[in-house]
Formats: sequence, C-alpha cells, structure tokens
Amino acid sequence: MSMVKLVNVRKSFGNLEVLKGVDLEIQPGEVVCIIGASGSGKSTMLRCLNHLERITDGEIYIEDELADKRENNKDLMKIDPVKVQTLCTDLGMVFQNFNLFPHLSVIDNVTIAPIIVKKADKNEIEKIALDLLKEVGLSDKKDEYPSRLSGGQQQRVAIARALAMDPKIMMFDEPTSALDPELVGEVLGTMRHLAEKGMTMIIVTHEIGFAREVADRVIFMDQGVICEQGTPEDVILNPKEERTKSFLNKIL
Amino acid sequence: MLNQTQLWAIFDGTVITVEIAIVAIILGAFFGVIVALGRLSKNKVANAVSWFYIWFFRGTPLLLQLFIIYFAIPIIYLDSTGMTFNINPMVGAFIAFSLNSTAYLAEIIRAAIESIDSGQMEAAKALGMSYRQAMTKIVIPQTFKRLVAPVGNEFIMLLKDTSLVSTIALFDLLRTVKTMASSDGNWIYYVYAAAIYLFLTTIIQVAFDKIEKKLGVYERQGN
Repeated sequence: MSMVKLVNVRKSFGNLEVLKGVDLEIQPGEVVCIIGASGSGKSTMLRCLNHLERITDGEIYIEDELADKRENNKDLMKIDPVKVQTLCTDLGMVFQNFNLFPHLSVIDNVTIAPIIVKKADKNEIEKIALDLLKEVGLSDKKDEYPSRLSGGQQQRVAIARALAMDPKIMMFDEPTSALDPELVGEVLGTMRHLAEKGMTMIIVTHEIGFAREVADRVIFMDQGVICEQGTPEDVILNPKEERTKSFLNKIL
Repeated sequence: MLNQTQLWAIFDGTVITVEIAIVAIILGAFFGVIVALGRLSKNKVANAVSWFYIWFFRGTPLLLQLFIIYFAIPIIYLDSTGMTFNINPMVGAFIAFSLNSTAYLAEIIRAAIESIDSGQMEAAKALGMSYRQAMTKIVIPQTFKRLVAPVGNEFIMLLKDTSLVSTIALFDLLRTVKTMASSDGNWIYYVYAAAIYLFLTTIIQVAFDKIEKKLGVYERQGN
C-alpha cells in the first residue's frame, strides 16, 4: 500500500506548464523532503494532492484510492465532491503564511474543522485540541487571537490545527520561509517531533540541513519534473545530476 | 415655538423617515449577501442575474424606482387585468428603498468578501470544509468589521434619501416641516429638521464606531 501516488501528473496554468509529468509514490511513515528552486513546481505538486489546484493530466491516488484522473483537463472520473473532501481530510496541510483564522481564538482555530466537518463532539475535541497545543508547546496561548502570537507560534498552531483532523499524511509548504530566522528552529523542532512519531510527511523546504537530518528521501525538482531522488546522503551530499549540483551550490 | 399638533406631526414624520431607513438597511443587507454571492458565483446564470440587478438599481435614480413601484406598476396591472390595484405608499417605499439598498450593499459585501486573503479559503478547504462551510464560518465572519464603515455610510445616505417619499403621498420629516414653513412663512422649521437629521445620523455614527471597535478586537496586536 502507498499513502500517495502520482502517475504522470501534469498541471498547466494557461500556457504555462508547471508540472511536466511527475510520478511519485510515498510509503506509510515515510518523510519526504522536496527541494528545488522557486518555480520548479514543488508547491504546485502539494496543492494538486489536496485539490487546491486541479491537475490537467494524470492520476492521483490517496491510500490506493483514485482521487483524481484527468486527460487534457477533462475530468474522467467525475468523483463525487463529498468523497474528494473526505479523501482530502486525510491530508493535513501547513502553509507558508500559516493562514490561521484571525477571527477565532487559538483553541477555536484547532477545533473548528473537526466540529463542522467531522461533527466531532465539542468537549471531546477540545480535550484533543488542548493535548495537541501542549504537544506544540502552546497550551498557555489557547485563548489568544492569532494576531497576538509570533510567526513561529502561529505556525505551530497551524500544525496543531491540521493534526486535529487526524490526518494520515502531513504536507508542509515551505513552513519556515515566512519566519524570522530566530523562529525557524521552534517550528522545525515541532516537525521533527512529528516525524519521530511516525507521521507520513511531505515537506517542501529550503532548509537543506533539516532535510538532511529528518528525511528518509529527498527529492530534487527542477522545471516541473523530478530531477533526482534518493536518500539525503545521495541527493544532498553526492548529487549525480548537474542541475542538482548547481542548485545545491547556489544555496549552501 | 411649536404647538402640540406641529410637534406630533414632526414626530410622525421622523418615525416614517426612520422606519423606511431601518427596513431598507435590514432587507438590503439580507438580500445584498445573496446578490453578492451571486456575483462571486461561478454559475453563469447567477452571475449574470446579480450583475444585471446591480446594474439596474444602481444605474437609475432611486426616485424613478419609487415612481415605477408606486405609480407605474398599478397602471400596468390595470392595463393588463382591468382591475385596480393600489400599493400602500409605505409598502411602496419599503420595497423601493430595499431594492435600491440591496444593490449598493451587494457591491459593498462582494468587495469585502474579495478583500479577505485567499489563503483563508484555501486553509478552510485543506481542512476539508466545503465552499459553503468555508464561506459561512471563515470568510464572511471576517468581513463584518470591514463592512461596518461602508454599511454605516449607506445607512446615513438612506436616512437622508427618505425625503424622496414626499413624492408618493407620504409625510416624512422634511415634507412635514416644509408644509409648516410655507404655511407660516417661517424658516425656523428647517432648522428643526436639520437638527433632527443630525441627531439621527449622530446616533448611527456613534453606534457604528462602537460596533467597529468591538468587531475588530481580534485584530489588535501586542500587549
């Protein structure tokens, strides 16, 4: 069984082809870091997985279930939107800009989706939410509004919010890129903790050191395709492809 | 000074003015949300209907809309059915002012919804919410604070525009004092009217300022 599988996925925005045929399979418990220059299609790939963007061509499987299949932008499956929604709740997502809900307190940010999407019991989910906030080190901030938190704290709340839906896979879209340097560590710490607990994770990141440390597999994307992949040692320390070498040279 | 009859007449005129403004702002806000969602909808029919609605009711004078409802529709009805049909002028005013404010408020609401960062909708969807859930629980509640100032504006405009109803046999505040002024030849009645309008708009202004502060509580930064 694979958690996520992409088969020859293509995605175009108008005439601009951002993904040019991506094949990828991710196993349960695997931590995959995706690196590459901006515009290489890393974020778009994540966003296609949970249908924030719809693919133009190819197939997407989530836990071996077909979640999307398209050819020339034609929906071949006509999958029921409710089913898509259910499949997508298996995928938690953390955004670069946190995207916390500013009108809700920290605890309400964490509980709102389980309450209205999963019809969870309010008392029960609040207990779970408090545990999650404790895990990310923010239980004392539960009644604050997001605007009163630092970027790092906001991102940790965002992680707790995604976890509250009990996802099977966590996707991180450049989770530390909008943070002040001194706040990066706390967010990476939370993610490391999650990886150690066995969560399946797909992380788009520019933190090469972090990728080296936690990733089971590193994927280097360039110009809409997977250019090279392998263990962190292979890809980061001993890259074979010229493009990987020149990218790593630029950022290290 | 005013005698008791005049005082009551001015009071009644003020009530008519206030009633029409309040009904129009409430119904306008309710239907304005619907028309705004129509404008934002990907459904072509809903989009075109709302576009057309706003185009018509913003693009023609409110006075003309009032005439259509109060004068033209009964005539059209008489011509087509041969039966007479009279609209109560107060009901006619409620309808015309509500239809008109719906158009303005729809645009205000649409702009407020569009001003909310698209990341909010994305985060809601990524958490499994449907479009409807994301709109009602995440996006629209965030527009409230941004809506207060322009809706207050619209409310004050409506309150003053109610003077148009003098044309359909209603004695609103302005018409009442004008009648007094011309029968006595005294301009002081206009000063009373101005004072009452200012009193009412002051209430609106102060109340809306308070509401705005209260709704913005989550935006306050720092300690």
